[in-house]
Amino acid sequence: METSTQNQVSGGKHLTSAITFLFLGVAIVATVGFTLHKVSADPQAKMYATTNGTINYNGQNLKHAFITEGVYPEPIASKAHGASGGSHLNWPSYGPATHLVLPAHAYVTMTLHVYDSGEKLNTNYFAKVVGTVGSTATFDGASAGSILATEVQHTFTLHGIPTSTQDPLFVNVPLPRVVADDKGNNIPTNDPGTNKSGHTVVFSFVTGGAGEYVWNCEYPCGDGTYAKFGAVMGSTGYMSGKVSVING
Amino acid sequence: MADHSAEEMAPTPGERITGFFKRKDVARTTILFVAWTTLFIVLGLVFYPKWMPIVMSKEMKSAESIMIWFTVISAPIAGIVLAVTTNAFLDMHRGDTPPPDGPAIRTNGPIVAIWTIGSLLFALVAIVWGLLEVNSQAVAAGNDAKSAITIEVTGAQWLWTFKYPAQGIETHDLNLPVGVPVVFNVKSADVNHSFWPVQLGVKIDANAQVTTVTRTTPTMIGPIEVKCAELCGLYHAYMETNGAVMSKTDFNAWVVAQGGHTS
Repeated sequence: METSTQNQVSGGKHLTSAITFLFLGVAIVATVGFTLHKVSADPQAKMYATTNGTINYNGQNLKHAFITEGVYPEPIASKAHGASGGSHLNWPSYGPATHLVLPAHAYVTMTLHVYDSGEKLNTNYFAKVVGTVGSTATFDGASAGSILATEVQHTFTLHGIPTSTQDPLFVNVPLPRVVADDKGNNIPTNDPGTNKSGHTVVFSFVTGGAGEYVWNCEYPCGDGTYAKFGAVMGSTGYMSGKVSVING
Repeated sequence: MADHSAEEMAPTPGERITGFFKRKDVARTTILFVAWTTLFIVLGLVFYPKWMPIVMSKEMKSAESIMIWFTVISAPIAGIVLAVTTNAFLDMHRGDTPPPDGPAIRTNGPIVAIWTIGSLLFALVAIVWGLLEVNSQAVAAGNDAKSAITIEVTGAQWLWTFKYPAQGIETHDLNLPVGVPVVFNVKSADVNHSFWPVQLGVKIDANAQVTTVTRTTPTMIGPIEVKCAELCGLYHAYMETNGAVMSKTDFNAWVVAQGGHTS
């Protein structure tokens, strides 16, 4: 009888120990998860679109928001990685920020001053202007629905995960490359603070409700790994970033 | 005095099985086995259909049936593993003198036979079911070849594009007419991806060097999700796009709106 009682007590202790270790394990995993989440907080600088008046679009009065970005062949000029340009001085970069914050239900006009060279796209589809008002953009003042897929320097491609909790948003605008002739003609970009020659691309699109999206470049401008999508293309904050559409 | 031989004293196979199940640990494991097996069967029959994506094609219906019935079929296997595990947990003897091991099951011929034949049957059901399903889809593909529409699917880091050659359009949305067979010719513009229109029940690799082909016939109108099922880089998680199965009238209107033409 004593042995049986001892076994029961021993079994109870084991069960308690097992449950304690289970909770301890869950606590450790949760702590690691929360810590990693905190450490991985968004390091990208934010740029907020400025709102100026309203615009009538398809019978709706929408806030008119403006945002301007540049695309540079090196990170120093982009100003997105500090005065020193960060640790990758030969990487192209958008700038001065790569986390764009846009108002919800707004008519957004985006201006891109672009200064890099380029070649051809992996997929010709991204040479088309998609998702903008009129499916067009202006390239140095001339409106067009596409450019040559062999003369692209980068693209601005905005997309997100289709969910029932946020409106779909897709924009693709190809950015024409800068070549020697462009420099010879000294195409102005009205980009303050730079003397570079380049192109200015302007387009507009309409945001839906609040949501989180991403943008990235579809031109293979990385190193030789992952079909030229390694290095800069495999790192956020240079040729890719976030787009937050917010209320208010 | 009769002289009983050793053969006359040996237990019959029936007595050996009865004796096996009368053991305390085996009896408890059996009860646990029934409990765990029942749980997995309920999981497969009741909860799986609710958790699975909406069925929007014959292929997805087949995939769902396979998931459900393979769960039910494999429930006894999971049940016996978990029953033995649970029994071992409940009967722990850490810190005191453990009891001696019981007789090895491998010496119990009838139990080994039941286990082997049962496993063989499970494996055969899985193989035969799979072969019949593959065959039925191949036959359907042959029958539907002439009426099918063809879509050239291209995976690129990190978006899908869809070219409809007969309609003369290219889009980033996958829209399909209901009831019309569709053939997907799938390739990649860069690294390997995997084309997965979830609600249609088909999934196939998108490779840079080889075009792969899969087929389906949408049977229900509604939205679909197209995902990449192969880890492909920084924004793999965002390599999703919208799509829809729509009426033929709506599909034709959409094609025209995209600048294409209807046949």
